[in-house]
Order: sequence, then C-alpha cells, then structure tokens
Amino acid sequence: MSKPKVGIFGLTGCAGDQLQILNCEDELVRLAQRLDIVDWVMVRSDNDHTCRLDIAFVEGVVATERDLETLKEVRARARTLVALGTCAVWGGLPAMHNEISRETLEREVYHTQLHFLDTVEALPPTHFVPFEVKLPGCPMERHEFLRAVNALLVGTEPELPLFPVCWECKAREHLCRVVHFGEVCCGAMTRGGCGARCPSHGVACSGCRGPVEEPNYDANVTMFADRGISWVEIARKMSHFSAPVWMTQGLEQEVRREPKR
Amino acid sequence: MSPSGRNIVIPHLGRVEGHGGIFVKVVGGTVHEVNMDIFEGSRYYEALLKGKHFLEVQGIITRVCAICSANHTVAALTALEDALSVRQSERIHTLRGLLLLGATIESHALHVFALALPDFLGFDSVIAMAAKYPDEVAFALRLKQLGNRVQELVGGRAVHPINTLVGGFGKLPGHRDVRAIRDELASALPPLLGFVELAASLDVPEWAAQPTVFVALRPYEEAFRFRGVSICTSRGEEFPLAAYRDVIREFTVEHSHAKHSALVSGETYMVGSMARLKLWGHLLKGRARESFERLFPRGVVDNILLNNWAQLVELVHSVEHGIEVCDELLGMPECAREMVPYEVRAGRGVGAIEVPRGTLFHEYEIDDEGLVVSANVVTPTAQNLANTERDLRAATEHLLADHASIDDGQLRLNLEMVARAYDPCISCSVHVTRLAAGEA
Repeated sequence: MSKPKVGIFGLTGCAGDQLQILNCEDELVRLAQRLDIVDWVMVRSDNDHTCRLDIAFVEGVVATERDLETLKEVRARARTLVALGTCAVWGGLPAMHNEISRETLEREVYHTQLHFLDTVEALPPTHFVPFEVKLPGCPMERHEFLRAVNALLVGTEPELPLFPVCWECKAREHLCRVVHFGEVCCGAMTRGGCGARCPSHGVACSGCRGPVEEPNYDANVTMFADRGISWVEIARKMSHFSAPVWMTQGLEQEVRREPKR
Repeated sequence: MSPSGRNIVIPHLGRVEGHGGIFVKVVGGTVHEVNMDIFEGSRYYEALLKGKHFLEVQGIITRVCAICSANHTVAALTALEDALSVRQSERIHTLRGLLLLGATIESHALHVFALALPDFLGFDSVIAMAAKYPDEVAFALRLKQLGNRVQELVGGRAVHPINTLVGGFGKLPGHRDVRAIRDELASALPPLLGFVELAASLDVPEWAAQPTVFVALRPYEEAFRFRGVSICTSRGEEFPLAAYRDVIREFTVEHSHAKHSALVSGETYMVGSMARLKLWGHLLKGRARESFERLFPRGVVDNILLNNWAQLVELVHSVEHGIEVCDELLGMPECAREMVPYEVRAGRGVGAIEVPRGTLFHEYEIDDEGLVVSANVVTPTAQNLANTERDLRAATEHLLADHASIDDGQLRLNLEMVARAYDPCISCSVHVTRLAAGEA
C-alpha cells in the first residue's frame, strides 16, 4: 500500500490535540514514515494546501467564518475525516456558554465592539460536516490516536470504549468522589478511555472526554442533589463538558423555583 | 524583479502554534506597512470564567493553550492563592517549580529543535531534518518527552494538568518516581551540551539586529528562576507585580484578534528567554552559565534570532536546576497528599510567572462565596506582537538595503525566521485579554 496523503488542521482552539500528536515522541518518526504528511502548518512551512487527502485530522471548534471555510475545504479534499479532541467532537469549553451572545462576550472582553472581529457562536466541526472517525478527549489520548491511525492504515474501523469513566474508576478501586467525598463527579456520564485519570489523582471527573452514549443526566443530578449539593453547583459543573446546554439551562430554571435551603 | 512597490505576504505562518500571517508593504525601497495578522478565533475565556467557582478556574483557564497549559495553571493558582492569602508550603512551592521546569523543557525543546533549527540547517520541517540528522532529532524528541514526563509526574498529564489544585496537589509524586526523573535529567545533560556546540558553530545573521527594551520578572531569590517578585526593564526600572496594568498598556489594532502592548512611554518591548538572560543571565550557574558564555560571548546583543539560542541556554538551566529540585524533593519526607488549609473569602490576586515565551500575568477577583467576579490574563505573545512588527520592519529595511535584488521567497523566509524566533503562541494571545476599564 502506498503512503496515504495526510493533512492535519487546527481550527480555533488550544492546539492540544496537534501537540498530542507531537507528544507521541517514540512513534513520531515511524508515523512520518508511514504517513505522507503534506499539509501541517504547525510543523511544516512548505505545505500543499490544495491536493487531495486520504486522511485529514481536524481539531478545534468553528469560532470564525474563516474556520467554517477551512473546514468545508478540508472536507472536500479528504476521503476520511477524523475529528481530534472534545472541541472537534462536542464543542468543548469554547461552546460552554453559547447562550451568551457574541456581542455581550465581545463587550466583556474587549470592552468595546470591534467591527473587524471575525466571530461566530462556537460549534463543533461535527455540527457542520460528516466525520468518519471521532476521537474525544481534552486533550485526546495518545494511545487512542495511534490506534486510530493504525486502524485506518489497515483499513478497519477504529474502536473506542463505550463504557464510562466511572467503570474504569471502579475497576481501579479508587474511592468514589460522589459517595465518599460528596463531590459532583461527571465520571458516570463521561466516555471512558482515560483510565479514570482524575479520580486516580484524588480529583473528581470534569467530563473532559464528553458524554458517553445515552448518559443518564437525570439520575446523576438526583444522585448529586440527594447529597445536599445545590442545583446551581451541579449545573455549573456539568456544563463544562458533560451536559448539553439545554440540560444545564433547564437545571438553572429549576434552581429559580428551588426554595432556599 | 523590481525592488520597489511590492507586497510581501505570508498568508499562514508555518511552524508556530496557532493561526497568523505576515503582510509587509514596500514602496520605493522603504517599508510602508508591517502587519502581523492574527486571525485565530476568539474564545472569550475571561468572560466564560465569570460566575464560576474559583476551584473550577484552573481546569478552564489551562485550556487557553496546550503548550503553555502548565504555565497557565501555575499562574492561575498563584493569583487565586494571592486573593485568598494562601501560603504555599515549601513542598508545594518546590513541586510547582519542577512543573514549570518540565513545561520549559518541553516547550523549548519543541521550539528550538523542531520549529526553529530547520531554518538554520536548511530544512522545511523537523521531519525533513530527521533524514540527515537522525541522532539529533531522536535526542530532541527524547528531551521533549522528558519535559512531558516531568509534567505528567507533577501535573498528572502532559497537556492540561489535573493534579494541581488551589493550596496543593491531589496526589504527590513518590520518591521512586522523582528519583527516576532525576536520573533521566542527569543523563540528558551531556548530549544537550553537544547541541550548545552545534548552535555555537552556526552563523546567526545580523539583519534582524535592532535595539530593544527587555522586560522580565526579578527572581524571588538571588538565582535564575522562573518565578518573580517585581517587574524589571532593561532600562533599570522596577515596578510591583500588582501594578502590571499601569506598566503595560494594551490596545487593539485592526489586523489582529490579539491585543498589542507597549510600555507607558509608548515603546514596544520584548519578553521571553532573551529578556531573562539580558536581565538575569549573570545569576546562571554551572553548565548553564558556561553555555550562556559560549553562545553569548559579548553578552546579550539585540538580535531576536538569538532568542533561539537563549532558549537553548534556558534548556540547559532547566535540566540542571531540575536535578537540584529533584534532590530537594528527595530530601523531604515522602507523603501522599498535602493541602494547605484556607478559608474562602472575597479578594483580588495577581500571579505573574516567567513562562517559555515571557512574562505571563493572571489576575482574579472573587466574591465571598468564592465565585469569580472578574478575570484578566496578559500573555507573553500578546505583549511581544508590537515588538515583532517593529523587528519585521527593521529586518525588511536591512535586507533591502544590503541586497537590493533579494527575491520575495528569500525575504519571506527571513521574515518568518524573525516571527518564529519569538516562539509566538497565538492560541494564548487570542484567548483574549481584557482592557482596563475606561481605556476603550
């Protein structure tokens, strides 16, 4: 098999998933041997911005008109499109407060409205174009990236864990952050694969890998509320990565009706 | 090709983190316009922090930037602890120092070897460079990985640390792991010094030379350190950290989603490795001092291309000092978790640290329930942008004066080298910073 032509692209974001590729130090040279990386602005200065691509990797959110143009161009060029990281798959932190208008955010941050600013509501690339593979994580896990590349090279479907972080945490016998410490832990709602990294450091899961399939938000909210955690706090912590805006907004509306404790 | 009436356009600057371009307009041999275009999208992190609990700040603000995630973490925790009057224990202070050294090793190794060095050796990327310099590239990757391993050990993850908390750490590293990292740092030092020799053998062109004002923090002790107690300039001025908004004037420019900065005098300035060496290089010790003298025999001269070598000196320092810090940690009794107790109360705090690209400021105000009222982050790349444009202008003028027939391709490459020497982190610069009230 000839080397597949590969492009790696970052939309608006922290570049953490591209950095995770570079963080595969032991495999990087072999990766460069097996993939023909022709378009990667972060790493190369002489790039081919127009050729057809066998595989394109995209990280970050669409937060500007320009991002959307780039995304559509990349989709048109690529046979297989892979979303890297929670921003690309779910929207991540930049999409956390899409209910606040861009004008308000602009005033908050720049203290004035800037007519030249290219800014749109932050949404995941998966909202605009179809993706063949989606790798969540903030940042994505290196081993999941390498496994996905391997699968694409041999022509099979990359497999991702379907179980939640909670399952990995139990398997490692960590003390439960909810039961023992009374914290809002998003592990039961969040897709596994990180090895329950945060609970293993004595920290509750913030849900950075995005929701597991069919998360039971209501049961989780009840579980936290039963331990005396206020609905405001529950909504705030779930809104980072785990729950869609409609869920946490619904919670906030409930909060207004909630009698003072 | 006519040397007059031409536009030099670099639509998308390669080998930097984030999205930016360069536009230079030359008419009749003089430079009319220089823009470093920053078109990275805005994510409004400071506005998103409003109303969050202070314990959630670190997990959010670290995501401004991946390469700088440990640095943003430490700056945020320092600012929040300042607001809450938390006194760090010796162990926590030392461990955070080790985290910063790991972040510096990773970031500098990536920039010096993978992003900047290809320019000096004539390659378009480190991938191409690996064919001719396999051993060098292999060592560079090993060093970068070592920086990541330090961050994983202390921060729990190489990108976006999770183990770092207000008042302490979730889990403290055991002595066995610290000893292993110490040994790896020790074995990385000799080959790293080989790179100092390689760098010393390379010519650094003069066309980027231009007088510059440098700014860096005064170290908290009489040694070369990445944490400081006041803001110092190369003109001998000194200001308290809390006055940073008065020292640094931020303003918006039309071609950039990131704000620009200047001193109150209106002068642009440079923060970063070269600024630190200019102000505090005399405090370096051991092999780092020897490397400094080898690469800067006449002291720090004002040529931004030398910032690459300044980072190399800091790499030697970070590895060498990292060994000492590990030894300090090994001298402390082993324990699983350490948290300094504190009470939640209203307050305002500033955290300033020296990070790979320069001085980073974080400021938070929290109310008596611990919710964030306001947040402000000033990043080194945003501070350097105005000075980058100034250097791009000078470089273009020098190049045109010396070689009237220079072609666009060569000019573009040389201008890219100037921009890359600053090691710009564009994600950081467009997070984006907040203007002081009334300044708009």
